[in-house]
Amino acid sequence: MPCNMRIVNLVQNSQMMAVRLSNRILSFIALLFCMAFLPSFTTFSPLLSFPSVALYPGMNLYISSASNYYTPEFSQKTDSVIIPLKRVGRLFLIEAKVDGEAGNLVFDTGANGLVLNSTYFREHVKSGGVVSSGITGSVGIVEQITVGQLEFAELRYSNLTADVANLGHIENRRGVKIIGLIGFSLLRSLEVVIDARRSVLKLYKIDKAGRRVNSGSKSFVPEFSQKIEGNGNILFVKGAVGGKLLNFCIDTGAETNAISADLNKKVMSTIVITRRASLKGAGAAGSEVLFGRMSDFVIGSRKISEMETVITNLDGLSEAYGTHIDGLLGSGFLESGVLCVNFLSGQFGMRFTKGEKQ
Amino acid sequence: MKTTVIFVIMLFVLHTLPAFPQKFNPDNVCRIDDGKLIFTLNLKWTAKEKKELSDLFDLDSILIDQVYKGKTTITLDGETWQVRKLQGNMAELSKAIHTGAAKRINLNDLLLMVDKWSNFAGSENESAAIFGVNNFTVANAFVYSNPIARFYLPGFKSASKIYISGTFNKWSTTQTPMKFVGTGWMIDLNLLPGKYTYKFIVDGRWITDPSNKLREDGGSGSDNSVVFCYNHEFKLKGFKTADKVVVTGNFLNWKPKGIALAKTADGWTASVYLRDGTYAYKFIVDGSWITDPGNPVVKNDTYGNSNSFLGIGEAYTFKLDGYTNAQKVVLAGSFNNWSPTELVMDKSSKGWQLQYVIAPGNYEYKFIVDGRWMIDPANPFSVGAGDTQNSFIALKANHIFELAEYPDAKQVILSGSFNGWSTKDYRMVKQGGKWIFPIYLPQGKYTYKFIVDGKWILDPVNKLYEQNEYGTYNTVLWIENSK
Repeated sequence: MPCNMRIVNLVQNSQMMAVRLSNRILSFIALLFCMAFLPSFTTFSPLLSFPSVALYPGMNLYISSASNYYTPEFSQKTDSVIIPLKRVGRLFLIEAKVDGEAGNLVFDTGANGLVLNSTYFREHVKSGGVVSSGITGSVGIVEQITVGQLEFAELRYSNLTADVANLGHIENRRGVKIIGLIGFSLLRSLEVVIDARRSVLKLYKIDKAGRRVNSGSKSFVPEFSQKIEGNGNILFVKGAVGGKLLNFCIDTGAETNAISADLNKKVMSTIVITRRASLKGAGAAGSEVLFGRMSDFVIGSRKISEMETVITNLDGLSEAYGTHIDGLLGSGFLESGVLCVNFLSGQFGMRFTKGEKQ
Repeated sequence: MKTTVIFVIMLFVLHTLPAFPQKFNPDNVCRIDDGKLIFTLNLKWTAKEKKELSDLFDLDSILIDQVYKGKTTITLDGETWQVRKLQGNMAELSKAIHTGAAKRINLNDLLLMVDKWSNFAGSENESAAIFGVNNFTVANAFVYSNPIARFYLPGFKSASKIYISGTFNKWSTTQTPMKFVGTGWMIDLNLLPGKYTYKFIVDGRWITDPSNKLREDGGSGSDNSVVFCYNHEFKLKGFKTADKVVVTGNFLNWKPKGIALAKTADGWTASVYLRDGTYAYKFIVDGSWITDPGNPVVKNDTYGNSNSFLGIGEAYTFKLDGYTNAQKVVLAGSFNNWSPTELVMDKSSKGWQLQYVIAPGNYEYKFIVDGRWMIDPANPFSVGAGDTQNSFIALKANHIFELAEYPDAKQVILSGSFNGWSTKDYRMVKQGGKWIFPIYLPQGKYTYKFIVDGKWILDPVNKLYEQNEYGTYNTVLWIENSK
C-alpha cells in the first residue's frame, strides 16, 4: 500500500513566498485544481494549503522563488569534502543524521531544501512547535519544523527549517530507510561537483564571488558551461533536442529523464517511442505513459544519444516552478559526465564522459 | 537508358524509405506527431508479432483485432482510434495523446514500470544465494573463521581514511572505518555464514576490492565485490594418487565441472558456503562419480542413482502424535513443492516424526495420513480456510507480531506487505492473553495493520507509521539483520 500523495502547501512568511510541493504523485487533476486557486494567493492569509498534486515521477519538488540558503560549518579544518553517494536504484543517497535520527537523505536537486520523512519526524513536529500545518483532509499533511542539527560527511548545519512529508513510497520502492530529501538550498554556499559515474559528491568552500577557498585542488575545468538563470535553488539548463533549444531542469532526484509530450514536430521526430502503458484506474479515460529514447539530445557541444526518457505532460511542473520547462534531466543524464554547480558565481559547468563532440 | 536510371532511382528510393517496417521492430512502430500518438503497422504481421506489439505498447488485443479486420474508427475504453490505410500492407493507427489525463496514477507502479522498461533489475536478495566460493588473488585479503571475517586491503599507505561498506552494514559510508596496519588496511567484522557484497571507500571514493575477482553488477553500472563466509567443508580422505577431485550436487545443478578440491596431507578438501537446507552431492575422482565414503547418509534418486546427502543448518522435527494404526504418514509442504511421496515420516512410540533441515522462512504444510490430507493438530497457526487451510510455521522466526489489546476479539488478522495485504491468511493466535503471530522476514521494510473483528487498526505499540494511498495509515516495521 504505497502512498502516492503529493501535497501542495502555499506559504507566505516575511521573506518569501514559496510554493512547496512535496511527496510526489501524478494527479494532474489535483494540480489543475490547485492552479485554479492560484490567483487567490495574491491576497492570502499567512498560511494556505491545498490538496495535492500531480507531477511527474521521480521528482520531489520543493520550489521557492527566494534565494534563502544555509551555510554549513565544517567540523574539521578543511575546505572541501568528498562524500561517497550511496546508489539505491537510480537514487543518490547521502548518509546523514538529523537531530539524532540517522538514515539516508536523497540528494534531490529538484527539491529546494530539506524535506523530512514524516514517519520519523512526526514527533519532532509536536515537540518542536509547529510553524505551519496544512491539513488537507484525507490527502496529506505538510508541516514545517525547525531542525536543531543536520550532519553529514564533515558538515554541520544548525537551526534549519524543514518540511515534513510522507516519503514512505520511496522507501517502499527501494527498500532503504529514507529520512529525507536534500536540495540545493543547503549546498548553494558551496561549489558542488557531482560525479554520478563514480558515485561521489564533492563540496568546496567558496568566497562571496564563488571562488574556491584554499582548496589546494585545481579548479573545475568545464568543457561546457552556462550561466545559472534565476535566483532560486533549482538548476535550469538549456539543451537542444532535434535542433531546438529547450529548457531543462537538472533533477538528481528524478529516477528517469522526462520530456514534454507537446513539443513541436521536429523535436518529437527525434524521439523513438519504445514502450507505452495505459494506466488504468477508477477514472474514465486511461492516462498513458510513454517511454523511449532521445536520439538527438545536445548540451553544449556534446551530443548524448540514446538517453532514455519518459514522455509526458510537464505543464504542472512548469507551473510549479514558475518557469516553462520542456524536460527533466535525471539520473540517466547525470551518468554522462561530471557536473559543477556554483550558485555564487552563477556558473554551471560540465565535463563529459559520454557522447560525441559536435 | 533514361528509364532504366529512373527505375533504379525509384528502386533505391523505395528501398530506403525508412518509415515502413516490414517485420515488427519496436524502435520503428510508434511516434508522436501533432499531439497524436501514431503506430505504423504492417497488416501482414503474424500473431506473434501482433502479440509483441500489444505487450510492448499496452494495446488491447480487441483493438488490434479490429484494426486487422479493417475498421477505420475504433472506440475502446473511452478513447477513439483512427485507422488510415497506407501503401502496400501498411496502416496507421492513431489517437490523441493522453499523458495528462486528469486522474491519479500510482507513482510507485509507474516507476516500477520504468524500471522494467529500462531493464533495471534492482537489488538482488542475498539471502536467496544458495551456494558460493570465493576467488581472492591475495591469500590474506579475506580470512573467515566463524564468526570473525577479516578483510585486508594491502597498500593505500597515503590514504587518510578508509571505510568498508556493504550489505553487512547496509552500505553505510560512515559506520565501519578500517584500521591502518603498516602494510595496508584491516577490519574484523562479526559475520554469520552467507553471501555479502561490499566495497571500500578510500578518502571518499568507492573502489571494489582489488584482491577479489568475484564481482557482480551493483545495479548502477558499477560492480560490487562479492564474498562468501563459509559454513561447510567437503572432505574426501585418501585418493592420494588421484589427479583431480571435484564435488558437485543439486546446489550446482549437477554440473560435472563442480568445485575443485585441494590436496591435503590425508586427502582432499574444499570449503564452501551453502544456504541452510538439505543437499544431494557426489565427488568426481578423475572422472568417476562416487558417493562420499565419509558420509553414511546415502539416498537413491528417482533414476536409481545413489547420492550422498547433507543438511546445513538446524533440523526441525515435524511431529504427529497418535495415528499409530496408520500405515504411512507423509509430510508435504511449500518447502518441497507439496510432494505427496518424498518425505515419509518415521514411526515413533507416540506417533510419527521426521527431522528435516530447511532454510529460515515461512512455510505451509500438511500431513498425509494413509492418503488423507490433514493439518497439524498440534500447531495453532494455520493459513487459508476449508480445503486450502494449511498449517503455518515460521522457521527461525525473527519477529513476533503482538497485540496485547482486544483480548475479547473473536478474530485478529495480520495483514501487510509481506503477505500481499491478505485479509484472511495470517490469523493471529491468542496466547498468554495477547494475540501473536511469529514470522520470518528478510531484512528490509514492511508495512502492516491488524484487522480486529473486521476493523483495520494500526499497531498501538509501534510508533512508526506512514500514510497510504487510501488516506489512512500503515504501521512501518524495519527488520534489521536477518542472517
